[in-house]
Amino acid sequence: MTTIEAPRAAGTSDPRKTGIIDSDVHPNFVNGIRDLTPYMTETWKNRLGVSGEDWAKGMAAAQFTLPLDYLYINSAGAYREDAARPGMPPATDPDFTAQHLLDTHGIYRAVLLAGQCLGIGAMPDGMVAATIASAYNEWMCERWLQNDVRWRGALCIAPQDPEAAVAEIDRVAKRDGIVAVFMPLGQILMGEKHYWPIYEACARHELPLVVHPSGTENVFAKAPQMAGTPTFYLEWHTALGQIHQSNTLSMICHGVFEKFPELKYIIAEGGFLWALEVMWKLDRDWKGLRNEVPWLTRPPSEYLLDHIRFTTQPFIEPHDPTHVAPLMEMLHADRTLMFSSDYPHWDFDNPDRSLQAVSKELRHKIMVETPRAVYGDRLD
Amino acid sequence: MTELATPRDARSGNRHVIAPVDEFPYGERRIVTIEGRAIGVLNVGGTFYALRNSCPHHGAPLCEGVVKGTMADTPAHEYSYIRHNEFITCPWHGYEFDLATGRSLVDPQRTRVRTYEVAVEDGDVVLYV
Repeated sequence: MTTIEAPRAAGTSDPRKTGIIDSDVHPNFVNGIRDLTPYMTETWKNRLGVSGEDWAKGMAAAQFTLPLDYLYINSAGAYREDAARPGMPPATDPDFTAQHLLDTHGIYRAVLLAGQCLGIGAMPDGMVAATIASAYNEWMCERWLQNDVRWRGALCIAPQDPEAAVAEIDRVAKRDGIVAVFMPLGQILMGEKHYWPIYEACARHELPLVVHPSGTENVFAKAPQMAGTPTFYLEWHTALGQIHQSNTLSMICHGVFEKFPELKYIIAEGGFLWALEVMWKLDRDWKGLRNEVPWLTRPPSEYLLDHIRFTTQPFIEPHDPTHVAPLMEMLHADRTLMFSSDYPHWDFDNPDRSLQAVSKELRHKIMVETPRAVYGDRLD
Repeated sequence: MTELATPRDARSGNRHVIAPVDEFPYGERRIVTIEGRAIGVLNVGGTFYALRNSCPHHGAPLCEGVVKGTMADTPAHEYSYIRHNEFITCPWHGYEFDLATGRSLVDPQRTRVRTYEVAVEDGDVVLYV
């Protein structure tokens, strides 16, 4: 077996040209939403029943938790066991996490995507979700971004309330370390005009929009919906790509990328080979059905290739490793893929090992050049 | 500092010493039975209140409820938490009662609980029933 020569092995070279970018790392709370209460007004602490006073413990709302996939049981534990320390669940301690992930693997910058806020798009009350998103952003800036320059953040918004989301983007976008906007997913497909003010704000601030599995799919009524409700975690986890397939089709067909030509869209942990069939079938059908979507001025696949980027984890492991290379070519992986580890989750991809079947040149594009093109100077 | 829930000249009824004020700290409450009535005496941040321990709605032990503020009347989609610790919330159905007047927030004329005069006199917490 050949050992991967990661870009960091380039030694004295400029890390801005060689440093690995990890596009999917999840910081977590120690005490759930209570970690966010210092960043909320008294009114909102009372509204949510998380004031910390004795009376709140008696409220049913004191049981309030953020929506995630609690109904599925991950028999592998959902997290890397070695990412926890006594009293500190995985990815709750910025110092240890930096040492464990960034130092170990020589990662230059890692983009934090809202750990336990992944599912707030499923909350029935968009104002509650927006409040949590704002508090998360303060928490992330203070606890993580100010702790180590290698942490970069995606500011979190509530998709239910575009007006509040735009205000939040305007409020936080210019802060040090912010490199993207993270939108938890909801029930409404992403091409719909509901979201367009958010896209306008992302384009105006030159921030890529990131989505990720929400951990709420089909468990909550306002969560993104896939076909049927799976029984098992294995089944559910494997089916999550359906959501991104539907959203990608929705955005392309609604002309989102015609309307917002500067918008960059990152699908994190959503898979990517489904994009091949989406591109080929869209282009084929569009030739006959162009009159339905006359606002598309180019073959639909071009919008995908120009605007959408996919993170690599969990990377494909075909039965025959030689199949990886032709699939990468079909996907135009030299411009569409960006490395991600998904630390600290159980299906973590090791940057030294997960892309072994990819050529050194392509690996450099995936780990360095493409994320640099997407996030730009905000990385440095 | 002695704070009164009712003006001194309005004080009436039989005088009952509940406890030395030194033994009745902030945040504490006691349920006492006087002349056959269960009455809650509360020290809320140095202000004493006394109310009948029975919610006029369904008879719940009202004085076991939480003491807190409430949300102001605001336009749709706005919140404003006000009057912190001026209300007691029924432990059963959540009705809020003004600690000082015994009147409920949602139906102050008809849904109200009897309040009693309580004062600190000569180092004792004293209830008039």
